[in-house]
This record gives sequence, C-alpha cells and structure tokens, in this order.
Amino acid sequence: MNEVNHPVVPTKCSRCDRLMAEVSVCDYCHWLNPAATGADYFALLGLPREFDLSEEQIRGKFLAVSRHAHPDLHASENPEAQELALRVSAAINDAYRTLKDPAARAGYLLELLGGKSSAEDKSVPEGFLATMMMMQEEIADAKGAGREVELDRLRDVLQTQHDGLMRRVAGLFREYQEALACQAIGTDLLNEIRKQLNAVSYVKKLLSQTAEQVLGE
Amino acid sequence: MSTILGIDLGTTYSLGAYMTPAGPVVVRDAAGNALVPSVIAFRDGRAVVGGQARAHAVENPLNTVYSVKRLMGKGLIDIQGDLKYLAYPVVSGRGGMACVNVSGREVTPQELSAMILREVKARAEAALGEEITEAVITVPAYFDDSQRQATRDAGRIAGLEVRRIVNEPTAAALAYGLGRKGDATVAVYDFGGGTFDVSILRVSGRVFQVLATDGDTHLGGDDLDMELIELITSEIRTRFGQEIAFAPATRQALRDFAEATKIRLSSQEQAKVEIDLGDSRRLARTVTRAEFEALAAKWVEHTIEHCRAALAGAALKADQIDQVVMVGGCTRIPLVRRRVGEFFGRAPYTAVNPEEVVAMGAAVQAGILAGVQRDTLLLDVIPLSLGIETLGGAMGKLIMRNSTVPCQASETFTTYADGQTSVDIHVLQGERELARDCRSLGEFQLRGIPPMPAGAPRIHVTFLIDANGILNVSARELRSGREASVQITPAHGLTRQEVDRMVKESYAHAVEDLTEHRLIDLRNEAGRILAAIDKALAEAGGALAPQQRDALDEAVATLKARIAESDPDALYAAMKAANEAATPLTEMQMDQVLRMTVKGRKLDEL
Repeated sequence: MNEVNHPVVPTKCSRCDRLMAEVSVCDYCHWLNPAATGADYFALLGLPREFDLSEEQIRGKFLAVSRHAHPDLHASENPEAQELALRVSAAINDAYRTLKDPAARAGYLLELLGGKSSAEDKSVPEGFLATMMMMQEEIADAKGAGREVELDRLRDVLQTQHDGLMRRVAGLFREYQEALACQAIGTDLLNEIRKQLNAVSYVKKLLSQTAEQVLGE
Repeated sequence: MSTILGIDLGTTYSLGAYMTPAGPVVVRDAAGNALVPSVIAFRDGRAVVGGQARAHAVENPLNTVYSVKRLMGKGLIDIQGDLKYLAYPVVSGRGGMACVNVSGREVTPQELSAMILREVKARAEAALGEEITEAVITVPAYFDDSQRQATRDAGRIAGLEVRRIVNEPTAAALAYGLGRKGDATVAVYDFGGGTFDVSILRVSGRVFQVLATDGDTHLGGDDLDMELIELITSEIRTRFGQEIAFAPATRQALRDFAEATKIRLSSQEQAKVEIDLGDSRRLARTVTRAEFEALAAKWVEHTIEHCRAALAGAALKADQIDQVVMVGGCTRIPLVRRRVGEFFGRAPYTAVNPEEVVAMGAAVQAGILAGVQRDTLLLDVIPLSLGIETLGGAMGKLIMRNSTVPCQASETFTTYADGQTSVDIHVLQGERELARDCRSLGEFQLRGIPPMPAGAPRIHVTFLIDANGILNVSARELRSGREASVQITPAHGLTRQEVDRMVKESYAHAVEDLTEHRLIDLRNEAGRILAAIDKALAEAGGALAPQQRDALDEAVATLKARIAESDPDALYAAMKAANEAATPLTEMQMDQVLRMTVKGRKLDEL
C-alpha cells in the first residue's frame, strides 16, 4: 500500500509521448501506461479522490477503462503488450473491487490521506464494545434456541447500526475536505474516521454470524 | 487470418463453432448433427472417437472411455464416487493422478480429451476446408485451476493453441446476444451432462460482467441416468433374483437405455420400457414422468441451492434478476424448467438448441480475440478463493472467490533456517478453513534465494490469475532484488515437459492429407447413416407409405454409389439427401417402444 501513494498524473504516453488525460491508457494511441499498476486506485479508474462516489459512477468508469485495458482487446499484439494488458487489467480489477465497497473505499482513502491502518489503530468509539458484547450474546442465544424471528430482528438492528456508522464516515470525510480547504489540520478527523471504520468491520463480522445460521439450515 | 475454433468440450457431447460476419455457426456433419459423443473406443490398437465409439461401447465396455471430463485435473482419491459410473478401468498414475488403463497402457485424461478435441478439429477442418491451429475451449465455471490447466494441456496435445479458456455459462450468455436493450441482470442456469453451473451477470451494452458464479462439477444428467439405472436394476433383482450381477457390457447397455428413457420423458408423459433378459425373463413396465421426477427431484433441488448461493455472492435477491436463460441438455426436462421458474419467479428462456449455445459463445469469444468483435467485452470471475497453507494447516485466503479476473495478490515470505535458499509454498483453492479440506493446486518451490540468516530474506510472491482463471506465480527477493525461480509440482496435472512430449507424439501420429482425411471421415459417416437406415427399416419400415419407401430406396442407392467414388462434395450431398429421405422413418421409429435386449449373452454376465 505504501508503494501506491505517489501521484502519476499528468504523465506522458510511453509510446506516442503525448500528455495523458487518464492514468491507465493513452486517449490518443490507446497504448497502456506501465506506470498505471503503481497508481492509486482513484487515479487508475479516473475518479476524484473522495469518498462520496455513487456505485454507478464507479462502475461506469471501471467499464470504460476496462474497455481499453482488458487482455482480450490486446490478444493480437506482441507478448509484451499482452503482459502489460494483463497487469494493468489486474490492477484495474483490484481497484474496482476495493472502491465499489463503501467500507473498503473509506479505509483505502483514509490511508491514502495519511490516516492510520486498522493494524496501527484498533480503537473504537466509546461505549461501542459494550453494546456489541450484548448483541453478540443475544445472537448466540437466538441461534441456540433457533429463534429465526429474533435473529431477523437482530440483523435489522445491526444493519441500522452499520448504515449509521457509514453515514457518519461520509460526514467526517466531508468535514475533512472542508478543513483542508480552510488549511486546517485534519488529523483528528482522520483518527475519528478510523474509529468509526473499526466499528463497521466489527458490525460486519456480527452480521455475517447471523447469516451463517441461515445458510446452515 | 485463420479461423479460431470455439469448442465446447463436454462430459457427454462435444462440438465446435466458428465466427462469421453473420454470427457464430455450429460445425455440422452431413446429417446435420453437431454433437460428437465424448466417447473414445480403442480397438486393435486404434482409437475411434464419437458416434462410432459410442455404438461399440456395449460390445467393448472395458476399452470404451466416456465422461473423461470427470477425471480432468483430479487425483484417483478425489473421484472414488465416480468409479461406480465408469465401466472402464481407472488407475492411479504419477503422483496419484487419475488415469485410464487402456489395454495395459496408462493414458492420462488430458490425452483422452485431446483425442476428442482432435475429432472436433477434424470435423471443422472438413467443413471449413482449412487447417485449424487455434481454439477457444469452454470449461464449467466452477472448474478449479488444475481442471483448467488440464483442459489447456489437452488442447496443446491436440495440436491447438488454446487462446482462451472460457466459462460455459458466460459463453452461453455471449451467444444469446443479451443486453441489446439496455442494462439487464441475467442468471445463466447451465445443467449439462456431468456438471452444473449458475452464473449471475450484469449486461450493459456489450459488456458482460459476471457478478458471481456457483456450481458443482459433479452434478449432471449422468446422475439422473444413474437413478433410472438403479430403478431398473433393483426391479430386475426383485423379480429374477438378488444374485444377478451386471457385467460391464450390460451396465453400458443400461446406461444408453436410461438416457433414452430420460430423453423420452421430456416430451412424453410416459415411456414404455421392455428388457428381455432371455430364458423368457422379461421386464416390461411403464415409467411415468411423475416417477422420474420423484427420482430427479433431489438433484434439481441441489441446483436450486447453488442458485441461492450465486445470488448471495452477487448480493442480489431472486426478484432482482431480469432474465433467466437455460443451457445444457438437462434444461429440456420439464421439472427443471418448472423449478427454476418457481425459484426466480419468472419463466426461464430456453434456446432451441440448449446443447449448442456454449460452443456458439466460444466462437463469439474467438471473434473478440481475433479482433472481429471489437464491441464486446467479457469480464469473468474466479469461482473459488485462492490461498496458501499457513502455519497449523489453515487456509490463508489471498484472492476471494467471485473476484473479476485478471486479478492479483502478493504476500511476503521469509526463511526459518540460516542460509536457506528455497521456500516451499502450498497453494490451495476452496472456501474451507482448513487446508486439508481445500483442493491442492500443488507445491510451489521458490528457488535461488541468496543465503542469509534465518528470517532476513523478504521474498515477495505475486499470485496473478489471468483471464483464463489460471494461476501464474512469480517471486522476487526484495533485499537482493533478485528474481527467484518458481518450480511447480502440480498436484494432479502434467508438467511442461510431459505436455511437450505428448504434443510431439501426437504430431507423429497425425500426418494426414486433408482431403484424404475428409473422405475417410465422410465414408465412415455415410456407413453409419446406411446402418441406421437399415436398422430403422427393420423396426418400422412397414409403416412407410410406398412413395416414401421409393424415395428412400433411391437415396440409399445413390449414397452407396458415391461411397465407391472419391468426390467428397458429392458424397456429402448424397448423405444429406439420404438423411432427408429417412426423416419420416426416424419419426415413426421414435414412437416405438424403448426396447432393450440382453438376450443371447451368457447367463453369468448378468
């Protein structure tokens, strides 16, 4: 992840030497950019570096760059070009997988902005753990007794929790952008986002526990 | 530019198709048949493939190989459950790989599949009048890395450069020409002879994006046939004695019989079956569709469970699917159509020829690769997670299933002894927590690490899955910057050297003049047509109208004359004419009772 944090735009096409508007592919000669594999995911897909992106917006960009980069479209070129298409395409697919999932996108953006990773900072919002312990017990009880209706209710509660946390994350990213615009220091905001995201992964884990029960039947 | 052939290498049938400006076209023989039975018979040291091989299966069960797709990329230990289906001897080859014993010689599934591919290739060459050297071959979406590699190796042994391995349901989606009317979310339900797949796709314009796939590489029409065989054999035993054992020849005959019954029950409510065991022991009964459906229900339910899993993988609900398309011979079964319709809450769409769409899709993909179909793009996924064995025998996932391919992951390894110059990595595929419950893709040995104290080297290993869904591994020691070599010992596959040797062997055997080859093939085919007409005349000839009979006799006489000559085109035309003249007869024959005679064989064979 450290290797990707250098900007590669604007850059020149390695074949026709013209300035490139997009990172992955030259819009003039359609040659792929070998440096694209090291670009950050937002730049790679040609998206602004921000959290507020719609699913359709991300998918649209993903399909647009895939239309140039996919190995199938370079199948009749030399092995070097094919290898390049394979690497760039793999990077584009990795980028899409990360950015389309809001929590993964938030985590990625956070580290891109200099925030701590989940391994470096494991803190969660105050009072959160106690609530989750309680939820965990309730899930275990409902599962043990096979109370499907109760499990459904718990799932709804967790989903609401999750959505609330993600809304808070979106709000914090907006505050961060504003702080940046006023040249204020946003480190506290980034730390707060980390906390919220740690909570999100906790809630997701519990959600998957409730789902396992359903599949196990 | 030469044609890239699209090939559907199926468990029970295989066929080829090629791209034309008007769209994909299926390769057919003179009789209009596209399907080549995936059966190989060995007689007098020669291999015969297709319909002829299948026709001789009953006389020669130990030397007739079918359903070889079930053995591809597998160890003998993985396929214990399949052995009861197979009349021919399966043995453990190098490293435990499942191989077939053909008159004392160990033949790999790759070589056997190559024989089928060569037959499909020869037919296409005869139809196109040009040499074929490149192909796109389809595999079940749920095939793992070993099974995909085995398929690619089979292609190479058959003298084909495999330009792409494509997933069968995805190929079908390409062939159906979906997505012409804006965006749609589509489920492709592919229930074939030996495998089941379901894929969920998002189609936007001409971009086919697979969202999720699920399936079972051991679930197909074979399993339904097996249910009918069990039904019949248990009744035979009840009536004529429990001690009756079924010889390989009888088991083979029962297989054909069960398949015919299954097919009959798709269009009719009941099928009369008669089995003559000799010594006036005769089993005659009517199998009703309801009875068959009761036997098939549990298998169909399994497919529905996989549909549920695929939807979960795509994070969608059944009512969010805009269209359901059906592929594979089993989707002709009314029960299958009904259950799939109920599950998705909409009537599924079935092509006129559900057995042919996969090959047509392979031809479309060939068109994409050849650059003649530039508007279409296929984004497929990896069906099973890929990972490595970590300490304590756990599976450490590196690439999650349903990730769009190509995709990659990297991991850094180190040494645990001073001066260690190589590191072993055990690569796995599957969803289970423990390494022993996942499929082993083999041991990857990283070599050429500079000698350093234990724990000092940082070996950066990149796992790259290409667009075929096949794994490529590369490694670099970061401190020295030196590229480490990766030596692969496939768990149940062929090494590069082995494939090269097999390719050479096949060249040595396959030097034939193209026209001569075509003439031989056509004569064989014509012989089959004549034999089929004779048989049909014996069974239902009396029901023909006089003018129908005259037309048929004349067509047969012409065909016999053309066989003696050496003009392949005239022969082809005569074959077509004979087939057309025989159509009324074959239709009448269809209405007759399904009859099987086991009479005339030694009693101890039964």
